[in-house]
Amino acid sequence: MTQTITIDPVTRLEGHGKITIQLDSQGQVEDAHFHVTQVRGFERFSQGRPYYEMPSLMARICGICPVSHLIASAKACEAIMSVRIPHTAAQLRRMLNLAQMVQSHALSFFYLASPDLLLGMESDPVARNIFGVVAAKPQLGRAGIALRRFGQHIIELLGKKRIHPGWVVPGGVTEPLEPAKRDEILAMIPEAYANIGLALAAYKQIADSFKPEIEVFANFPSNYLSLINEDESIEFTDGALRLIGPQGGVIEDGINAARYTEVIGEAVENYSFTKFAYYKPLGYPSGSYRVGPLARLNIVESMGTPLADQELVQFKQLAKGPVESSFHYHHARLIEVLHGIEKIEQILTDPLILDKHVRAIAGVNRLEGAGQAEAPRGTLNHHYKVDENGLITWANLVIATGQNNNAMNKGVLQAAKEYVNDGKFTPGALNRLEAVIRTFDPCLSCSTHAFGQMPLVLTLLSPDGEIVDQVIR
Amino acid sequence: MTQTTIRCLILACGNTLRGDDGVGPWLAEWAEEKYRGDPTVRVISRQQWTPDLAEDIAGAESVLFIDCSIESAPGYVSLISIEPSVQTQGLATHHQGAPELLALARDLYDSLPVKTALLSIGAGSTELGEQFSEPVLDAIPHACGLLESTIFEWTR
Repeated sequence: MTQTITIDPVTRLEGHGKITIQLDSQGQVEDAHFHVTQVRGFERFSQGRPYYEMPSLMARICGICPVSHLIASAKACEAIMSVRIPHTAAQLRRMLNLAQMVQSHALSFFYLASPDLLLGMESDPVARNIFGVVAAKPQLGRAGIALRRFGQHIIELLGKKRIHPGWVVPGGVTEPLEPAKRDEILAMIPEAYANIGLALAAYKQIADSFKPEIEVFANFPSNYLSLINEDESIEFTDGALRLIGPQGGVIEDGINAARYTEVIGEAVENYSFTKFAYYKPLGYPSGSYRVGPLARLNIVESMGTPLADQELVQFKQLAKGPVESSFHYHHARLIEVLHGIEKIEQILTDPLILDKHVRAIAGVNRLEGAGQAEAPRGTLNHHYKVDENGLITWANLVIATGQNNNAMNKGVLQAAKEYVNDGKFTPGALNRLEAVIRTFDPCLSCSTHAFGQMPLVLTLLSPDGEIVDQVIR
Repeated sequence: MTQTTIRCLILACGNTLRGDDGVGPWLAEWAEEKYRGDPTVRVISRQQWTPDLAEDIAGAESVLFIDCSIESAPGYVSLISIEPSVQTQGLATHHQGAPELLALARDLYDSLPVKTALLSIGAGSTELGEQFSEPVLDAIPHACGLLESTIFEWTR
């Protein structure tokens, strides 16, 4: 008799998901699926709205990474308007996106992942949370909270709101940067450096103790996709996409937003509301790829900032080719935080950063437009069609979590095969299955385009589909 | 640069798009206007209370938390003192309750406000919408009076 294990809900995620593990007649893991169980419908209900409302509408997809949605959406609108935004506006948006990346990565690492990393995968689940981290490592707890505040405060200073700022609009931004705000951000930089230095040192100290997890946490060859600059450095807001293969060779380069739908397809599986993105020329599922911090660091040759570049050199020594284990997403995230702080400092010293010309004005000049940006979790693509009056007639959003979907499912299967034996798992095994998903820091609300509480369910199914065990948290 | 001592931090929580859940932010806006000229009173209104607020709490002499309650009768206004505590059941990443935030302030910054209380208003409806239910509308003057008298007592 085969059996199925269900973990529902999976905890410490941005969203609500479920893991189902199918056992064979010997009680060994046969298959595993990560299900996303929410439906939202932004593509549908935006139809009929004026294109210029799209950035603020699309930002509501997510409370963690609204800025990336704002930017990808505004860029899609600018393609419809056929405008190129002023240099200062581009720099200000870049800073806003980096601030969001810093706060989101701080949330992911310190609030969601660090209880596992600092307290142990098998530590008391009652204390395995941010309070446990604070009790065990108060200095690190303060650093995490301070880094999150750093990012959020920049977003608030620029966009007037920490969540869903309305400052990014089609054509640029609504207001230039004030000198006092620039000075306030610059004054926060030294503390931010100290805090990320603390986090990186702490992570490097403990990473080696997770070798068994590194081996089986979505550790397999795959393709990777991210934005990159022409000078081979990391980019979150502009640039073009590059896809690399399992050995690191470039499969396709210079994929701009307009070409996105030519090369990226979306498959559907009957167990999840999230679609499965893939590179069309390789077909599905061979064309599946990973996005986000691990992908970005595997693709780029440089971070473009001195301290993060030193860290990148160390990161790339983790493997001869691309770093494959998704456990290393955590490390990559911290390096990106360091880069974010450095880059924000660089941007603020741009002589044109206080320039008043921050918005291009135009109407509808094309009936279709697409825009892309890197969200903390990976690449976003917004693609819209409008009528002559600029009303949205069609919209499609390709979201980071959907692009990592195949890898997350393979990762859950790989870890389940390691940790689920004889139809049973220990609490530590259960947590490890969840921790595989956490490495990707998926945003299930984004990916399903969720409402209400967003916690995961783990179900153990027999070969004939009967529920043998189920954990609901 | 000298920093003004925050004698009272008003910390409201709620979603203005979910009916009576918006009463916390409404009272925060009222308090913002009321204490505009007083730098010792600081108002923060959020959709959710998150751990980063612990530092603000640790730096204040007193904290008045404001939230709606789905456990109280609609329109019932209460003011209760709050003690730091860690509720492990249902501990969330995106939202902490007032006792958890106080515990974080204590554990992270070794500091606790001298006076702390939770002002809550029983919700009649938290369905989608920007209107308050009749019981909450009727309760707002009482809630404003209680807020004002509490701040007066704490800051005199």
